[in-house]
Amino acid sequence: MKPALNVMPDAFNSQYFDLDDAGDVQEFYHSRGWTDGFPIVPPTPEAVQACLDWVLMPANEIIGIEPVRERAITAEKLAINAVMAGCLPAHFPVVVSAWMAMLKEEFLLHGTTASTGGCAILVILNGSIRREIGARSDFNVLGSSDRATSVIGRTIRLALINILQVSPGAIDRSTLGHPGKISYCIAEDEEGSDWLSLAESRDIPKDASAVTVLAACAPRQIMNEWTSKPEEILDTYAAEMRANMRNYSIWSGNYVVIMAPQHREHMRAAGWGRKEIANYLFEKARIRRSEWSTVGKGSVIRDKGDTEYCALPSPDHLLLVAAGGPAGGFGAIIPPWLGAKSQAVTAAIGVCIDCEPPSQAK
Amino acid sequence: MTIRVLNPTSEAVVEIMQPAPRLTSLAGKTVGLISNGKEGTAGFFAHVDRLLREHYQVAQVVLRTKSNYSAPAEDEIIDEARNWDLAITGLGD
Repeated sequence: MKPALNVMPDAFNSQYFDLDDAGDVQEFYHSRGWTDGFPIVPPTPEAVQACLDWVLMPANEIIGIEPVRERAITAEKLAINAVMAGCLPAHFPVVVSAWMAMLKEEFLLHGTTASTGGCAILVILNGSIRREIGARSDFNVLGSSDRATSVIGRTIRLALINILQVSPGAIDRSTLGHPGKISYCIAEDEEGSDWLSLAESRDIPKDASAVTVLAACAPRQIMNEWTSKPEEILDTYAAEMRANMRNYSIWSGNYVVIMAPQHREHMRAAGWGRKEIANYLFEKARIRRSEWSTVGKGSVIRDKGDTEYCALPSPDHLLLVAAGGPAGGFGAIIPPWLGAKSQAVTAAIGVCIDCEPPSQAK
Repeated sequence: MTIRVLNPTSEAVVEIMQPAPRLTSLAGKTVGLISNGKEGTAGFFAHVDRLLREHYQVAQVVLRTKSNYSAPAEDEIIDEARNWDLAITGLGD
């Protein structure tokens, strides 16, 4: 009788363990520091192979190499962590592409994951894969909005912990961290927006699915339900960006702006698109160094009080994302970890026509 | 019936590096300081510089600063460090 999947344990390079039951698996993995504290799905060879087959990758495929510590990330290890996080095979292409993006030199993965600053890795999805995997962009989008984004975001963290030793107190030296370090993945509401998608605005072809990754601080929510003027709405977002510049980091970088439908409708009615919004925030999200005196940082102004700093190096650095539930004049800004030291990276999710999974190739 | 599960960690065997030979004295030596450039480094490394010269009779102290405090030191700094007898790096955060 043919087995359910063409899997032999020796198809993998990983050490394996034969445990009594799923309960034992939980304690075995927790006790070794291989989890984020939540229960995991047992990474059986069959489940791991199913992920690899979905992306048509052999187990030993190198996804990329972390450039500072020169650690190779293999498809096998990534798939094991994806299964543990709860991923279905259909989620795995997003995980692979996100990691390919994270391993680009400009992302500075080691610095972002080791820093005392405590940022998380935000993953933003675009394209048809959102619908295929059931990613939602509406209610509670920055919380537990759906299965797909929850488990994809969780995989990013579990793989960091297990493959690169980014455990608290080991490589991860975060003073505080934030809840996005458990899972931080959202999908853009492309159907509910007449803007170009975030991915298209970053040169990804319209028909491709894509991920954008950013080393990001926690979301800072804003609310303005008392105007329909784009300028006044955006003044609230700009004020929050300036507050972050005063209180956290003054340096320019990729800021995310999450805009829910109510604000987007006002923008649309006034004929404001992605470009107009980015240009306005580029002009408004600025502070002078002297403003540090209002937040207790006067000792480091020195002779640069009149120097002006902008939240964005250019309007193109704004990552504007349409997302959020239908009601409420809410939005959020998500600041970068530390200016432009780490840069957002967007990567298309690979496709292959008429390919066979390596495990089934003749 | 048992359940077979896989190890999620890198399982990488890290090459063990040999530490440089230990110095028996700092007197007359060249010591390099690699700063990450953060706010507190100026005072911290100035103090280390003074200690090295006054208490340990170091001949020369060379201070080099990384351009990005979250990234590794530039190749030029690493190359220059080959000419030093001792290198000290620290956060000074």
